[in-house]
This record gives sequence, structure tokens and C-alpha cells, in this order.
Amino acid sequence: MMGRRGPARGRSRVATVAVWLVLGVVLAYILGPLVFMVTASFMPAIEITRIPYRWIPQSFYWQNFWRAIRGNDGRFYFVRNMINSVVVATVITLSTVILSTMAGYGLAKFEFRGRRAVMLLIVATMMIPFQVIMIPLYLIATRMGMQDSYAGLIVPLLVNAFGVFLMRQYLLTFPNEILDAARIDGASELQILRRIVFPSSWPAMATLAILTFRSQWDNLIWPLLIAQSREMQTIPQYITLFTEEKYTDEGAMMAAAVLASLPIVILFFGLSRYFVGGARLFSAHKG
Amino acid sequence: MRRKRGSKGILARRGRWGWAFVLPTLVLLGLFSVYPVVNAFYLSFFQKHLLSNAPPKFIGFGNYTYLFRSPTFWNSLTATAIFAGGAFAMLVGMSLLLAVLISSRQRFQRFLQLAFFSPAVVSTVVAAAIWLLIFDPRGIANQLVNALAGTPGVDHRWLVEPGRLQLATMLVYVWKYVGYFTIIFIAGIGTIPRSLYEAARVDGANAWQVFSRITFPLLRPTTLLVSVVAMIQCLRTFSTQYLFTQAGSPRSPIDVITLNVYYTAVRTFQIGRASALSIILFAIMLFLSWLQFRVARSEEVSYL
Repeated sequence: MMGRRGPARGRSRVATVAVWLVLGVVLAYILGPLVFMVTASFMPAIEITRIPYRWIPQSFYWQNFWRAIRGNDGRFYFVRNMINSVVVATVITLSTVILSTMAGYGLAKFEFRGRRAVMLLIVATMMIPFQVIMIPLYLIATRMGMQDSYAGLIVPLLVNAFGVFLMRQYLLTFPNEILDAARIDGASELQILRRIVFPSSWPAMATLAILTFRSQWDNLIWPLLIAQSREMQTIPQYITLFTEEKYTDEGAMMAAAVLASLPIVILFFGLSRYFVGGARLFSAHKG
Repeated sequence: MRRKRGSKGILARRGRWGWAFVLPTLVLLGLFSVYPVVNAFYLSFFQKHLLSNAPPKFIGFGNYTYLFRSPTFWNSLTATAIFAGGAFAMLVGMSLLLAVLISSRQRFQRFLQLAFFSPAVVSTVVAAAIWLLIFDPRGIANQLVNALAGTPGVDHRWLVEPGRLQLATMLVYVWKYVGYFTIIFIAGIGTIPRSLYEAARVDGANAWQVFSRITFPLLRPTTLLVSVVAMIQCLRTFSTQYLFTQAGSPRSPIDVITLNVYYTAVRTFQIGRASALSIILFAIMLFLSWLQFRVARSEEVSYL
């Protein structure tokens, strides 16, 4: 393959260098800020704003992490908000995956009146951006007395149309023979769902779980509306407190950012193919 | 005849299970997605104060005419257009370029994909927090620009100067999402038959010819998908702008519609007006998606 000679080979070497140059510049743009976050979290404020920035911390300044957890008021809301984030994201992920698989299975493998209408509704709902419905949703949730509660943070987001669509597309290709064979063996529909459909949908469910968990971990706008008390806030809100004008503590801010990213980074390293697979799924079902 | 009716009975009974599986989702979506959209539309014709118990007052298109006369609204529209346009162009262009370059590499493909994807893992709030420090007067952005331009010690006021502030929010956004779209493009490139590239190489085509005659045309479905998703994504931006304003940046250059909806509802308590704003945002999104599909289709026809 590399058997070319003379100018052609020289040109391809130039091309390779050019490609790596471009990739290198973009790589610096992408990885630089991440490296900055981690290194700055170990530096006292004076070192973070030093010119030029030293990319290697001179010492490990652990106090940043202590202040990030303790908070400027010393009331350790970090712990509570972290727990809130974990609880909210986990519950929403579980319910999204289970309900989406159930509904996707119902839509993919059963004939019933109004199925087409339901499918149409699902696809139409997928197009609704959260920002459009957040105000009415806030009014509904407060009318149901759900402000400043786990119910308020969780219930409106228990399932989303995208998940249903995803699971339906996945289950369309599931062989009917297996389902029929189980029915002939006398399995009930619920048993089929639990023993056959759930276990064999594992890859799609894992992808949906990752996507959902990540987007919930990232969710700022809904908690901002529904959770006003510090006790019920989530980690994204906690971080915004560090960025506010009146309270700027660069080191603690980066330490909080690192701590907030830890759970998701651990998930990413363990399950990166599902993270990446989520993006690929889009192009898989485009038609 | 009897057998047929019997089997229909089984199917009908089985169909009820289909309903049973769909129903919980349907109830939740109806209550927390469909109803709120209808409600947002409905509220946009009313005057309603968030904190007052008075029933909403019908004012017809009052909220809309108010918005169309308000300079804040037009500023918001401009800010959204600038942000979405800029971030969209950077996202699509950069992710396509990266995908082509990464696909052309024999080595490090997986590492590059994961590296470019990694910012998508950290949350938007964390991303904005990091970049706030980078754009700090003493931050790395100034250091880099000054080093390149040979202007030591100049503060480029990234978080204050309107144009730079807009650019700064775009850079944060592109940083976070470029890897995501790169991976979609790489998957799309992967579906193009290798034999086409081999034939092109035999024919002595250069890299640009291969890209413009093979990769790009055959990638059109993926490009359409990426542009629709990226456009909607850019129009939905909120956290970055919110954090920047919280940190003290002026609001008006980056007062995208979502931010305006939030402040209108939370600071001025005008629920009807905020709803009208969000309905306008929704209409813009639907229109742009439709437009992209149309352009894609008409292009397809002209090529055939």
C-alpha cells in the first residue's frame, strides 16, 4: 500500500503531517480545557490566574476539594445535592428504560386499534423541545404540589418519546417465532416481557440508559424552576453557585466541577461503547 | 369461519396487551408533554402573572403584538440567530472535517474518537464553568491570543465585549458537542462502500476529488440528520448563556430565546408572554427542520 515512490510518497507524507497538524490543533482545543479543569482543581487561586498558566501543579492543594464540599456557607449542601442528583438521574433512567421497552414492545409486536395514532403521537412528541413546555409544566407541577420535592424533579421526566421510538425500532427486528414459541409453551404475556423481551433487548436498553442518565445529570433548567430550596437542588445548580459574581473561588469551582464529573466519567470509562453507540444509533435508524 | 373468528379473538385479546404495555407511557407523555404544549399555546393568548391567583385574562394576540413591538424580543431573536448560526456552522463544518480526517487514519482512530467525544461527557454547567475561567481577564484565552498576536498583557474582554462574548458562548458549545456529531459522521462514512474509494484511487483521484465526488454526496442522508439535530440543539441552548450571565456577563448579546423565556417567567412573572415566546421558538424550530428536509429533497432531485 505504501509502495508509492518519489514525489507521490513525499506528497503523502506532507499530507499526513498536515492532517495531524489539524487534528493536533483541534485536539488541543478539545482536551486543553479538560486538562485545565483537573490541574486547576489542585491549585490555589493565585496559581490558577498566574500568567503564563503552568499546566503542571506545583503542589497538590487539597483545600479546594474541601471548600468545594463544604460550600461557602459551611453547610455541606454538596453532599445533599449530590445525593439528589444520583437519586433523580437513577430513578428517571430506570423508569425511562423500563417504560420505553414496554411501550416499544407493545408498538412493535402487537396489533391493536389506534396503534398508528399512538405511533404518530410518539414521533410528534419527540419534536417538542423541553424549553417550550417548561412553563406549563412548572404550573402543572406546582398545582400538583410537587415543587421542592423529589416528585417534582422526577415525575414529569419519567419517560420520553425518544426512548419509546428507540426501543420500538430495536424490537421491530426481534423474531416473532420466539414470541410465538413461548406462547405455545404457555408463557403469559408478562412472562414473555420479563423473561424474553427484557433480557434480549439489553444492548439497546443500556444505550438508552446511558443517554438518559447523562442528560439528566446535565439537566439544569428543570431543577432551576422546580427546586428552589438548597436541600432539593441538584449538582448543576450547586456548581452555578460557584460561578456567581459575588462568590468566586476558582480553585473550589474547578474542584466541584471535577467532583461533579466523577460519576459520569467513571461510567464513561466503563461503558464508552454505549456512550459512543448512542450517537451511532442516530445514523443507524435514519432510514 | 369459526376458526377464523377464534383466531381473531386471540389476536384481539393479545392486542389488549399491546395497549396495556403502551398505556403507562401514553398517560405520562400525555400529561407531561402533550398537554403542556397545548397549554403553552393556550396560555400565549392570555395575560397571567405567576404569583397572582387571578384567573388568566384573555388578550388575544396581545402577547405576540407586545413581543413584536419590543426591542428586547428582536434583540433576543438576533442573539439566537447569531448563536445558532455560528455554532451550527462551526459544529457541522468541524465535525465533518474531523470525521473525514479520522476516517482517513489507519491508527489511533478509536483514541481520537473518544478524545473528541470526551467533552460531551461532562455536563454543560461544568463546561461553562471551565470556560469562564479560560476567558477570565488573566485566563488562558488572553494568554494564547496575546502569544499568537504578539500583544503581551492585553485584555480582550471575552466576557464583556458583545461580539467576543457571543463567540465565547459558541466556542463552549462547539467544544462540548463537536465530538458527538463527529461520531455520527464517522458512522455515516463507514457505510460508504470501500470499493468506491479503491476505484477512485485506481483512477488517480486526489483527496479533494474523493471528498467532493464520493464522500460528501454519499453522506447526504447523514449530513441532513446532523444538520437537523444540530440546528435544534443550538436553538435549545440555555445553560451556557445562563451561567455566563450569572457570572456577570451582560445579558443582551447572549439573550437567546430560551434564556429570555426563563427570565420572563422567573423575573417578571409574565407567564403568558413567556409562553408566547416559547411558541415562537417552537415555530422557528419546526420551520427550520422542514426547510432542511425540503432543501435536501430538492437537491436530491437535481442530482438525479
